Amino acid sequence: MNNDFVFTPIRQLAELLKSRQVSPMHLSEIFLDRLEQRGPSYNALTTLTRERALRQAEQAEREISAGDYKGPLHGIPWGAKDLLATSDGIPTSWGAAPFKHQTFDFDATVVRRLEEAGAVLAGKLAMIELAGGMGYRQPTATFTGPPRNPWNRETWTGGSSAGSGAAVAAGLVPFAIGSETWGSILSPANNCGLAGLRPTYGRVSRYGAMALCWTLDKLGPLGLTADDCGLVLEAIAGPDPDDPTAADMTFAYDDSPTEGRRFKIGVLKDVADGAEEPVRENFEKALAAISEVADVEEMEFPEYPYVAAIRTILNVESAAAFEDFIEEGTAAELTAPEDHYGPYARTSVLATDYVKALRIRGVMSREVDGVMSKYDAIAAPTSPRVASPIDEEFRKASPSPGPGDLMGAIGNGCGLPSISVPSGFSDAGLPTGIQFMGRPYQENTILAIARAYQAMTSWHTRHPDDALEG
Amino acid sequence: MPDENKKESRTDMLFGIVKAKYGDRLTDEQLKEVRSGVDGVEDLAVELRKVRLTNAVEPFANFQPYRGADNDE
Repeated sequence: MNNDFVFTPIRQLAELLKSRQVSPMHLSEIFLDRLEQRGPSYNALTTLTRERALRQAEQAEREISAGDYKGPLHGIPWGAKDLLATSDGIPTSWGAAPFKHQTFDFDATVVRRLEEAGAVLAGKLAMIELAGGMGYRQPTATFTGPPRNPWNRETWTGGSSAGSGAAVAAGLVPFAIGSETWGSILSPANNCGLAGLRPTYGRVSRYGAMALCWTLDKLGPLGLTADDCGLVLEAIAGPDPDDPTAADMTFAYDDSPTEGRRFKIGVLKDVADGAEEPVRENFEKALAAISEVADVEEMEFPEYPYVAAIRTILNVESAAAFEDFIEEGTAAELTAPEDHYGPYARTSVLATDYVKALRIRGVMSREVDGVMSKYDAIAAPTSPRVASPIDEEFRKASPSPGPGDLMGAIGNGCGLPSISVPSGFSDAGLPTGIQFMGRPYQENTILAIARAYQAMTSWHTRHPDDALEG
Repeated sequence: MPDENKKESRTDMLFGIVKAKYGDRLTDEQLKEVRSGVDGVEDLAVELRKVRLTNAVEPFANFQPYRGADNDE
Protein backbone atom coordinates (compact mmCIF):
# COMPACT_ATOMS: atom_id res chain seq x y z
CA MET A 1 0.00 0.00 0.00
CA ASN A 2 1.36 3.39 -1.01
CA ASN A 3 1.36 5.77 1.95
CA ASP A 4 2.96 8.68 0.09
CA PHE A 5 1.17 11.98 0.63
CA VAL A 6 -1.25 10.39 3.09
CA PHE A 7 -2.14 12.68 6.00
CA THR A 8 -0.68 15.68 4.20
CA PRO A 9 -2.79 18.81 4.72
CA ILE A 10 -4.35 20.41 1.64
CA ARG A 11 -2.06 23.44 1.62
CA GLN A 12 1.03 21.22 1.39
CA LEU A 13 -0.50 18.97 -1.24
CA ALA A 14 -1.44 22.08 -3.21
CA GLU A 15 2.15 23.32 -3.18
CA LEU A 16 3.36 19.96 -4.48
CA LEU A 17 0.74 19.98 -7.23
CA LYS A 18 1.24 23.60 -8.19
CA SER A 19 5.02 23.19 -8.41
CA ARG A 20 4.48 19.96 -10.38
CA GLN A 21 6.45 17.86 -7.92
CA VAL A 22 3.49 15.52 -7.94
CA SER A 23 0.87 15.11 -10.63
CA PRO A 24 -2.91 15.05 -10.07
CA MET A 25 -3.05 11.64 -11.79
CA HIS A 26 -0.45 10.14 -9.46
CA LEU A 27 -2.08 11.62 -6.38
CA SER A 28 -5.53 10.48 -7.48
CA GLU A 29 -4.36 6.95 -8.17
CA ILE A 30 -2.85 6.70 -4.68
CA PHE A 31 -6.08 7.76 -3.00
CA LEU A 32 -8.31 5.76 -5.36
CA ASP A 33 -6.31 2.63 -4.54
CA ARG A 34 -6.48 3.36 -0.82
CA LEU A 35 -10.22 3.95 -1.00
CA GLU A 36 -10.77 0.79 -3.00
CA GLN A 37 -8.54 -1.45 -0.90
CA ARG A 38 -9.09 -0.06 2.59
CA GLY A 39 -12.47 1.63 2.33
CA PRO A 40 -14.46 -1.61 2.72
CA SER A 41 -12.57 -2.60 5.88
CA TYR A 42 -13.98 0.52 7.58
CA ASN A 43 -17.35 0.27 5.78
CA ALA A 44 -16.52 3.79 4.62
CA LEU A 45 -17.13 3.51 0.90
CA THR A 46 -20.37 3.28 -1.04
CA THR A 47 -19.11 3.81 -4.60
CA LEU A 48 -15.62 4.32 -5.96
CA THR A 49 -15.80 6.93 -8.73
CA ARG A 50 -12.55 5.96 -10.45
CA GLU A 51 -13.57 6.77 -14.01
CA ARG A 52 -14.78 10.25 -13.16
CA ALA A 53 -11.79 10.85 -10.88
CA LEU A 54 -9.25 9.95 -13.53
CA ARG A 55 -11.03 12.15 -16.05
CA GLN A 56 -10.95 15.09 -13.63
CA ALA A 57 -7.33 14.36 -12.64
CA GLU A 58 -6.26 14.24 -16.27
CA GLN A 59 -7.94 17.57 -16.88
CA ALA A 60 -6.28 19.05 -13.78
CA GLU A 61 -2.94 17.78 -15.02
CA ARG A 62 -3.43 19.46 -18.39
CA GLU A 63 -4.53 22.72 -16.81
CA ILE A 64 -1.71 22.90 -14.26
CA SER A 65 0.85 22.02 -16.93
CA ALA A 66 -0.52 24.83 -19.06
CA GLY A 67 -0.16 27.28 -16.17
CA ASP A 68 -3.91 27.48 -15.59
CA TYR A 69 -3.77 26.83 -11.83
CA LYS A 70 -7.20 27.20 -10.22
CA GLY A 71 -6.21 27.29 -6.55
CA PRO A 72 -5.52 25.09 -3.54
CA LEU A 73 -8.04 22.35 -4.38
CA HIS A 74 -6.83 21.87 -7.94
CA GLY A 75 -5.95 18.22 -8.36
CA ILE A 76 -6.87 17.25 -4.78
CA PRO A 77 -8.98 14.08 -4.38
CA TRP A 78 -12.03 14.21 -2.11
CA GLY A 79 -14.99 12.10 -1.01
CA ALA A 80 -18.69 13.00 -0.98
CA LYS A 81 -21.21 11.87 1.60
CA ASP A 82 -23.56 9.71 -0.41
CA LEU A 83 -26.43 12.14 -0.13
CA LEU A 84 -24.98 14.51 -2.72
CA ALA A 85 -26.41 14.00 -6.18
CA THR A 86 -23.89 13.00 -8.83
CA SER A 87 -24.40 12.56 -12.57
CA ASP A 88 -22.56 10.06 -14.81
CA GLY A 89 -24.73 7.18 -13.53
CA ILE A 90 -22.99 7.20 -10.17
CA PRO A 91 -25.54 6.00 -7.58
CA THR A 92 -26.63 8.27 -4.74
CA SER A 93 -27.97 5.90 -2.12
CA TRP A 94 -28.69 8.20 0.84
CA GLY A 95 -27.22 5.31 2.85
CA ALA A 96 -30.52 3.46 2.55
CA ALA A 97 -31.18 0.08 0.96
CA PRO A 98 -34.39 1.21 -0.80
CA PHE A 99 -32.38 3.90 -2.63
CA LYS A 100 -29.32 1.76 -3.30
CA HIS A 101 -29.57 2.13 -7.09
CA GLN A 102 -30.92 5.69 -7.20
CA THR A 103 -29.26 7.95 -9.77
CA PHE A 104 -29.55 11.60 -10.75
CA ASP A 105 -28.78 13.34 -14.01
CA PHE A 106 -27.17 16.36 -12.37
CA ASP A 107 -24.51 17.21 -9.82
CA ALA A 108 -25.29 18.82 -6.48
CA THR A 109 -24.07 22.41 -6.37
CA VAL A 110 -21.32 21.44 -3.92
CA VAL A 111 -20.10 18.69 -6.26
CA ARG A 112 -20.16 21.13 -9.17
CA ARG A 113 -18.32 23.83 -7.24
CA LEU A 114 -15.58 21.46 -6.17
CA GLU A 115 -15.20 20.34 -9.77
CA GLU A 116 -14.92 23.98 -10.83
CA ALA A 117 -12.19 24.40 -8.20
CA GLY A 118 -10.36 21.50 -9.85
CA ALA A 119 -10.90 18.94 -7.09
CA VAL A 120 -11.14 15.25 -8.00
CA LEU A 121 -14.16 13.23 -6.83
CA ALA A 122 -12.70 9.90 -5.71
CA GLY A 123 -15.73 8.27 -4.13
CA LYS A 124 -19.17 8.43 -2.59
CA LEU A 125 -18.87 7.78 1.13
CA ALA A 126 -21.04 5.68 3.40
CA MET A 127 -23.54 7.30 5.73
CA ILE A 128 -26.24 6.42 8.20
CA GLU A 129 -29.46 5.66 6.34
CA LEU A 130 -31.37 8.82 5.45
CA ALA A 131 -28.88 10.79 7.57
CA GLY A 132 -30.38 9.30 10.70
CA GLY A 133 -33.73 10.89 9.95
CA MET A 134 -35.77 7.89 11.01
CA GLY A 135 -34.47 7.95 14.57
CA TYR A 136 -31.65 5.37 14.47
CA ARG A 137 -30.03 4.34 17.74
CA GLN A 138 -27.08 2.22 16.58
CA PRO A 139 -24.09 2.33 14.20
CA THR A 140 -25.44 -0.57 12.15
CA ALA A 141 -28.14 1.68 10.66
CA THR A 142 -26.84 1.61 7.09
CA PHE A 143 -26.89 -0.97 4.32
CA THR A 144 -23.11 -0.66 3.90
CA GLY A 145 -22.40 -2.06 7.38
CA PRO A 146 -21.43 -0.32 10.62
CA PRO A 147 -18.85 2.40 9.87
CA ARG A 148 -15.68 1.46 11.74
CA ASN A 149 -13.45 4.03 13.40
CA PRO A 150 -9.82 3.92 12.16
CA TRP A 151 -8.66 4.62 15.73
CA ASN A 152 -10.26 1.38 16.85
CA ARG A 153 -12.35 -0.68 14.48
CA GLU A 154 -14.49 -1.94 17.34
CA THR A 155 -15.74 1.60 17.91
CA TRP A 156 -18.01 3.84 15.89
CA THR A 157 -17.06 6.75 13.66
CA GLY A 158 -20.00 8.85 14.77
CA GLY A 159 -22.68 9.85 12.31
CA SER A 160 -24.42 10.41 10.17
CA SER A 161 -21.44 11.53 8.00
CA ALA A 162 -19.78 8.31 9.09
CA GLY A 163 -17.88 7.35 5.94
CA SER A 164 -16.70 10.95 5.55
CA GLY A 165 -15.14 10.73 9.02
CA ALA A 166 -13.63 7.27 8.53
CA ALA A 167 -12.24 8.03 5.08
CA VAL A 168 -10.37 11.19 6.14
CA ALA A 169 -9.17 9.65 9.43
CA ALA A 170 -7.85 6.58 7.59
CA GLY A 171 -6.09 8.67 4.95
CA LEU A 172 -8.33 7.43 2.14
CA VAL A 173 -9.06 10.97 0.93
CA PRO A 174 -7.51 14.32 1.94
CA PHE A 175 -10.93 15.79 2.73
CA ALA A 176 -14.61 14.94 2.56
CA ILE A 177 -17.95 16.69 2.54
CA GLY A 178 -20.51 15.80 5.20
CA SER A 179 -23.88 17.16 6.19
CA GLU A 180 -25.30 18.15 9.53
CA THR A 181 -28.88 18.52 10.63
CA TRP A 182 -28.00 18.01 14.28
CA GLY A 183 -24.50 16.71 15.02
CA SER A 184 -23.68 14.85 11.82
CA ILE A 185 -20.45 16.72 11.00
CA LEU A 186 -19.26 17.43 14.54
CA SER A 187 -19.88 13.88 15.79
CA PRO A 188 -17.59 12.12 13.26
CA ALA A 189 -15.03 14.93 13.67
CA ASN A 190 -15.03 14.19 17.40
CA ASN A 191 -14.91 10.40 17.16
CA CYS A 192 -12.37 10.28 14.33
CA GLY A 193 -10.01 13.00 15.62
CA LEU A 194 -10.60 15.38 12.69
CA ALA A 195 -11.42 18.99 11.98
CA GLY A 196 -15.08 19.29 11.03
CA LEU A 197 -16.77 22.55 10.11
CA ARG A 198 -20.51 23.03 10.34
CA PRO A 199 -21.08 26.26 8.40
CA THR A 200 -23.76 28.83 9.11
CA TYR A 201 -27.16 27.67 7.83
CA GLY A 202 -27.44 28.93 4.25
CA ARG A 203 -23.70 29.50 3.80
CA VAL A 204 -23.47 26.49 1.48
CA SER A 205 -26.10 25.59 -1.11
CA ARG A 206 -27.94 22.35 -0.41
CA TYR A 207 -29.18 21.96 -3.97
CA GLY A 208 -28.86 18.31 -4.91
CA ALA A 209 -28.40 17.15 -1.33
CA MET A 210 -30.98 14.84 0.26
CA ALA A 211 -33.38 16.95 2.29
CA LEU A 212 -33.92 15.80 5.85
CA CYS A 213 -34.99 19.06 7.50
CA TRP A 214 -35.23 22.09 5.25
CA THR A 215 -34.51 24.61 8.00
CA LEU A 216 -31.73 22.65 9.71
CA ASP A 217 -29.65 20.92 6.99
CA LYS A 218 -26.12 22.20 6.33
CA LEU A 219 -23.21 20.90 4.24
CA GLY A 220 -19.60 21.27 5.34
CA PRO A 221 -16.09 19.85 5.22
CA LEU A 222 -14.22 17.28 7.29
CA GLY A 223 -10.44 17.54 7.00
CA LEU A 224 -7.16 17.08 8.81
CA THR A 225 -6.92 20.67 10.02
CA ALA A 226 -8.97 23.81 10.53
CA ASP A 227 -7.03 25.34 7.65
CA ASP A 228 -8.19 22.52 5.36
CA CYS A 229 -11.78 23.29 6.33
CA GLY A 230 -11.35 26.99 5.53
CA LEU A 231 -9.90 26.22 2.10
CA VAL A 232 -12.77 23.87 1.27
CA LEU A 233 -15.45 26.19 2.61
CA GLU A 234 -14.27 28.99 0.33
CA ALA A 235 -14.75 26.71 -2.67
CA ILE A 236 -18.24 25.48 -1.78
CA ALA A 237 -19.87 28.56 -0.18
CA GLY A 238 -21.89 31.22 -1.91
CA PRO A 239 -25.26 32.15 -3.35
CA ASP A 240 -27.11 29.69 -5.55
CA PRO A 241 -30.29 30.43 -7.50
CA ASP A 242 -31.16 26.73 -7.19
CA ASP A 243 -31.32 26.95 -3.38
CA PRO A 244 -33.44 29.83 -2.10
CA THR A 245 -32.06 29.33 1.42
CA ALA A 246 -28.47 29.92 0.28
CA ALA A 247 -27.32 33.27 1.65
CA ASP A 248 -26.68 35.99 -0.88
CA MET A 249 -23.04 36.40 0.10
CA THR A 250 -19.72 34.95 -0.88
CA PHE A 251 -17.13 33.66 1.55
CA ALA A 252 -13.46 34.58 1.31
CA TYR A 253 -11.34 32.52 3.66
CA ASP A 254 -9.12 34.76 5.79
CA ASP A 255 -6.05 32.65 6.48
CA SER A 256 -3.95 35.49 7.80
CA PRO A 257 -1.73 34.58 10.76
CA THR A 258 -3.37 34.74 14.17
CA GLU A 259 -0.25 35.90 15.99
CA GLY A 260 -0.97 39.01 17.97
CA ARG A 261 -4.73 38.46 17.92
CA ARG A 262 -6.51 38.02 21.22
CA PHE A 263 -9.90 36.37 21.28
CA LYS A 264 -12.74 36.33 23.76
CA ILE A 265 -14.22 32.93 24.40
CA GLY A 266 -17.27 32.06 26.46
CA VAL A 267 -17.68 28.72 28.19
CA LEU A 268 -21.16 27.64 29.09
CA LYS A 269 -21.47 27.11 32.84
CA ASP A 270 -21.12 23.43 33.79
CA VAL A 271 -20.81 22.47 30.12
CA ALA A 272 -18.47 19.55 30.85
CA ASP A 273 -20.49 18.20 33.76
CA GLY A 274 -21.64 14.71 32.95
CA ALA A 275 -18.99 14.25 30.28
CA GLU A 276 -16.70 11.25 30.45
CA GLU A 277 -13.52 11.83 32.42
CA PRO A 278 -11.07 12.02 29.49
CA VAL A 279 -13.40 14.42 27.69
CA ARG A 280 -13.64 16.69 30.74
CA GLU A 281 -9.89 16.56 31.43
CA ASN A 282 -8.91 17.24 27.84
CA PHE A 283 -11.43 20.07 27.61
CA GLU A 284 -9.92 21.75 30.68
CA LYS A 285 -6.43 21.36 29.24
CA ALA A 286 -7.63 22.75 25.92
CA LEU A 287 -9.11 25.79 27.67
CA ALA A 288 -5.82 26.33 29.51
CA ALA A 289 -3.98 26.20 26.18
CA ILE A 290 -6.38 28.51 24.38
CA SER A 291 -6.20 31.03 27.23
CA GLU A 292 -2.72 31.86 25.88
CA VAL A 293 -4.46 33.65 23.04
CA ALA A 294 -7.93 34.27 24.46
CA ASP A 295 -9.74 35.65 27.46
CA VAL A 296 -11.93 32.80 28.62
CA GLU A 297 -14.97 33.42 30.80
CA GLU A 298 -17.93 31.47 32.03
CA MET A 299 -21.30 32.43 30.58
CA GLU A 300 -24.89 31.27 30.37
CA PHE A 301 -27.61 31.32 27.74
CA PRO A 302 -31.11 32.48 28.72
CA GLU A 303 -33.54 29.72 29.64
CA TYR A 304 -35.56 28.39 26.72
CA PRO A 305 -36.70 24.91 25.77
CA TYR A 306 -34.02 24.77 23.06
CA VAL A 307 -33.94 21.00 22.76
CA ALA A 308 -37.74 20.68 22.72
CA ALA A 309 -38.16 23.39 20.07
CA ILE A 310 -35.51 22.09 17.69
CA ARG A 311 -36.40 18.42 18.23
CA THR A 312 -40.02 19.27 17.38
CA ILE A 313 -38.96 21.06 14.18
CA LEU A 314 -36.74 18.11 13.26
CA ASN A 315 -39.54 15.62 13.92
CA VAL A 316 -42.02 17.48 11.73
CA GLU A 317 -39.73 18.38 8.84
CA SER A 318 -38.20 14.90 8.60
CA ALA A 319 -41.65 13.29 8.62
CA ALA A 320 -42.77 15.71 5.91
CA ALA A 321 -39.61 15.32 3.80
CA PHE A 322 -40.17 11.57 3.73
CA GLU A 323 -43.97 11.61 3.72
CA ASP A 324 -44.41 9.33 0.69
CA PHE A 325 -41.68 7.00 1.92
CA ILE A 326 -43.42 6.71 5.29
CA GLU A 327 -46.95 6.42 3.91
CA GLU A 328 -45.94 3.67 1.49
CA GLY A 329 -44.37 1.65 4.31
CA THR A 330 -40.92 1.67 2.71
CA ALA A 331 -39.32 2.32 6.10
CA ALA A 332 -39.71 -1.42 6.71
CA GLU A 333 -36.95 -1.96 4.12
CA LEU A 334 -34.39 0.05 6.06
CA THR A 335 -31.52 -1.72 7.84
CA ALA A 336 -31.96 -0.71 11.48
CA PRO A 337 -35.00 -2.30 13.16
CA GLU A 338 -35.78 0.95 15.01
CA ASP A 339 -35.97 2.81 11.68
CA HIS A 340 -38.83 0.51 10.59
CA TYR A 341 -41.19 2.20 13.06
CA GLY A 342 -39.21 5.32 14.05
CA PRO A 343 -40.91 7.81 11.74
CA TYR A 344 -44.50 7.04 12.75
CA ALA A 345 -44.47 8.78 16.12
CA ARG A 346 -43.20 11.91 14.40
CA THR A 347 -46.43 12.21 12.45
CA SER A 348 -48.25 12.88 15.73
CA VAL A 349 -46.90 16.41 16.31
CA LEU A 350 -49.74 18.92 16.42
CA ALA A 351 -49.53 21.82 13.97
CA THR A 352 -49.84 24.39 16.75
CA ASP A 353 -46.90 22.83 18.58
CA TYR A 354 -44.79 23.00 15.42
CA VAL A 355 -45.65 26.64 14.87
CA LYS A 356 -44.95 27.33 18.54
CA ALA A 357 -41.50 25.79 18.06
CA LEU A 358 -40.93 28.10 15.08
CA ARG A 359 -42.00 31.13 17.11
CA ILE A 360 -39.73 30.16 19.99
CA ARG A 361 -36.92 29.66 17.50
CA GLY A 362 -37.10 33.34 16.53
CA VAL A 363 -37.06 34.51 20.14
CA MET A 364 -34.20 32.21 21.07
CA SER A 365 -32.16 33.14 17.99
CA ARG A 366 -32.32 36.82 18.91
CA GLU A 367 -31.55 36.18 22.58
CA VAL A 368 -28.69 33.81 21.80
CA ASP A 369 -27.18 36.28 19.36
CA GLY A 370 -27.37 38.99 22.02
CA VAL A 371 -25.28 36.81 24.33
CA MET A 372 -22.92 35.65 21.61
CA SER A 373 -22.23 39.19 20.43
CA LYS A 374 -20.01 39.53 23.53
CA TYR A 375 -17.74 36.68 22.38
CA ASP A 376 -15.73 35.54 19.41
CA ALA A 377 -16.81 31.97 20.14
CA ILE A 378 -18.38 29.68 22.69
CA ALA A 379 -16.21 26.66 23.49
CA ALA A 380 -17.50 23.26 24.60
CA PRO A 381 -16.60 19.60 24.38
CA THR A 382 -17.79 18.47 20.95
CA SER A 383 -19.31 15.37 22.51
CA PRO A 384 -19.62 14.29 26.13
CA ARG A 385 -18.04 10.96 25.25
CA VAL A 386 -15.45 9.27 23.11
CA ALA A 387 -16.43 6.88 20.32
CA SER A 388 -18.86 4.24 21.58
CA PRO A 389 -18.52 0.51 20.92
CA ILE A 390 -19.62 -0.49 17.43
CA ASP A 391 -22.28 -2.87 18.77
CA GLU A 392 -23.74 -0.49 21.34
CA GLU A 393 -26.94 1.55 21.10
CA PHE A 394 -25.33 4.95 21.50
CA ARG A 395 -28.45 6.83 22.47
CA LYS A 396 -29.00 4.61 25.48
CA ALA A 397 -25.36 5.02 26.45
CA SER A 398 -25.24 8.81 26.10
CA PRO A 399 -25.67 10.97 29.18
CA SER A 400 -29.02 12.55 28.38
CA PRO A 401 -30.21 15.23 28.44
CA GLY A 402 -26.71 16.67 28.50
CA PRO A 403 -24.87 19.89 27.85
CA GLY A 404 -23.81 18.55 24.46
CA ASP A 405 -27.45 18.43 23.48
CA LEU A 406 -27.84 22.06 24.51
CA MET A 407 -24.93 23.20 22.31
CA GLY A 408 -26.32 21.10 19.48
CA ALA A 409 -29.83 22.46 19.89
CA ILE A 410 -28.69 26.08 20.10
CA GLY A 411 -26.09 25.76 17.37
CA ASN A 412 -28.28 23.97 14.86
CA GLY A 413 -31.49 25.69 15.92
CA CYS A 414 -30.01 29.15 15.49
CA GLY A 415 -28.03 28.14 12.39
CA LEU A 416 -24.65 28.94 13.98
CA PRO A 417 -21.30 27.80 12.59
CA SER A 418 -19.11 25.57 14.70
CA ILE A 419 -15.79 23.87 14.21
CA SER A 420 -14.57 20.80 16.06
CA VAL A 421 -10.87 19.97 16.35
CA PRO A 422 -9.18 17.22 18.37
CA SER A 423 -8.41 18.09 22.00
CA GLY A 424 -6.56 14.93 23.03
CA PHE A 425 -7.08 11.22 23.54
CA SER A 426 -8.49 8.88 26.14
CA ASP A 427 -6.29 6.23 27.80
CA ALA A 428 -7.79 3.81 25.30
CA GLY A 429 -6.42 5.93 22.45
CA LEU A 430 -9.73 7.39 21.31
CA PRO A 431 -9.90 11.07 20.30
CA THR A 432 -11.81 13.79 22.12
CA GLY A 433 -12.87 17.07 20.53
CA ILE A 434 -13.37 20.72 21.39
CA GLN A 435 -15.80 22.86 19.43
CA PHE A 436 -15.76 26.61 18.86
CA MET A 437 -19.19 27.97 17.94
CA GLY A 438 -19.59 31.44 16.48
CA ARG A 439 -22.22 33.96 15.47
CA PRO A 440 -23.84 33.55 12.05
CA TYR A 441 -21.41 34.09 9.14
CA GLN A 442 -18.46 34.26 11.55
CA GLU A 443 -16.64 31.24 10.12
CA ASN A 444 -13.42 33.19 9.70
CA THR A 445 -13.31 33.96 13.42
CA ILE A 446 -13.87 30.39 14.59
CA LEU A 447 -11.43 29.12 11.96
CA ALA A 448 -8.81 31.57 13.28
CA ILE A 449 -9.38 30.38 16.86
CA ALA A 450 -9.15 26.74 15.80
CA ARG A 451 -5.97 27.45 13.82
CA ALA A 452 -4.47 29.25 16.82
CA TYR A 453 -5.33 26.26 19.01
CA GLN A 454 -3.87 23.81 16.51
CA ALA A 455 -0.69 25.90 16.29
CA MET A 456 -0.23 25.30 20.02
CA THR A 457 -1.12 21.60 20.07
CA SER A 458 -0.20 18.55 18.05
CA TRP A 459 -3.27 16.31 18.41
CA HIS A 460 -4.16 16.82 14.77
CA THR A 461 -0.77 15.47 13.69
CA ARG A 462 -1.48 12.05 15.21
CA HIS A 463 -3.00 9.44 12.96
CA PRO A 464 -4.18 5.88 13.47
CA ASP A 465 -1.40 3.27 13.08
CA ASP A 466 -4.03 1.08 11.49
CA ALA A 467 -4.27 3.43 8.52
CA LEU A 468 -0.60 3.14 7.58
CA GLU A 469 -0.09 -0.59 8.10
CA GLY A 470 -0.05 -3.19 5.38
CA MET B 1 -50.96 14.76 38.90
CA PRO B 2 -53.86 16.25 36.92
CA ASP B 3 -51.31 17.57 34.39
CA GLU B 4 -49.78 14.12 34.15
CA ASN B 5 -53.23 12.61 33.55
CA LYS B 6 -53.92 15.23 30.90
CA LYS B 7 -50.63 14.39 29.19
CA GLU B 8 -51.41 10.68 29.32
CA SER B 9 -54.79 11.20 27.73
CA ARG B 10 -53.30 13.39 24.99
CA THR B 11 -50.65 10.76 24.32
CA ASP B 12 -53.38 8.09 24.14
CA MET B 13 -55.37 10.22 21.72
CA LEU B 14 -52.40 10.96 19.45
CA PHE B 15 -51.21 7.38 19.58
CA GLY B 16 -54.73 6.30 18.62
CA ILE B 17 -54.49 8.37 15.44
CA VAL B 18 -51.06 6.97 14.56
CA LYS B 19 -52.27 3.43 15.28
CA ALA B 20 -55.36 3.94 13.13
CA LYS B 21 -53.22 5.13 10.24
CA TYR B 22 -50.33 2.69 10.44
CA GLY B 23 -51.22 0.00 12.98
CA ASP B 24 -51.89 -2.67 10.38
CA ARG B 25 -48.26 -2.68 9.29
CA LEU B 26 -46.69 -2.76 12.76
CA THR B 27 -46.18 -5.59 15.25
CA ASP B 28 -47.32 -5.29 18.87
CA GLU B 29 -43.70 -4.76 19.89
CA GLN B 30 -43.27 -2.00 17.31
CA LEU B 31 -46.53 -0.37 18.39
CA LYS B 32 -45.21 -0.31 21.94
CA GLU B 33 -42.14 1.56 20.70
CA VAL B 34 -44.32 3.95 18.68
CA ARG B 35 -46.43 4.62 21.80
CA SER B 36 -43.24 5.48 23.64
CA GLY B 37 -42.20 7.74 20.75
CA VAL B 38 -45.53 9.58 20.84
CA ASP B 39 -45.04 10.01 24.58
CA GLY B 40 -41.67 11.63 23.81
CA VAL B 41 -43.27 13.94 21.24
CA GLU B 42 -45.81 14.98 23.86
CA ASP B 43 -43.01 15.60 26.41
CA LEU B 44 -41.46 18.07 23.97
CA ALA B 45 -44.82 19.74 23.37
CA VAL B 46 -45.40 20.17 27.11
CA GLU B 47 -42.11 22.10 27.30
CA LEU B 48 -43.09 24.30 24.37
CA ARG B 49 -46.53 25.07 25.77
CA LYS B 50 -45.00 26.42 28.96
CA VAL B 51 -43.46 29.33 27.03
CA ARG B 52 -45.75 32.37 26.90
CA LEU B 53 -45.40 34.48 23.76
CA THR B 54 -47.17 37.66 22.83
CA ASN B 55 -49.48 37.79 19.85
CA ALA B 56 -46.85 39.72 17.88
CA VAL B 57 -44.26 36.93 17.94
CA GLU B 58 -44.25 35.39 14.48
CA PRO B 59 -42.87 32.03 13.35
CA PHE B 60 -39.21 32.34 12.41
CA ALA B 61 -39.73 31.31 8.82
CA ASN B 62 -39.66 33.62 5.86
CA PHE B 63 -42.41 33.57 3.31
CA GLN B 64 -42.01 35.71 0.25
CA PRO B 65 -44.60 36.06 -2.50
CA TYR B 66 -43.22 34.57 -5.67
CA ARG B 67 -43.30 36.45 -8.92
CA GLY B 68 -41.60 34.98 -11.93
CA ALA B 69 -40.14 36.91 -14.84
CA ASP B 70 -42.66 38.92 -16.87
CA ASN B 71 -43.41 37.58 -20.32
CA ASP B 72 -42.16 39.73 -23.17
CA GLU B 73 -45.07 40.44 -25.35
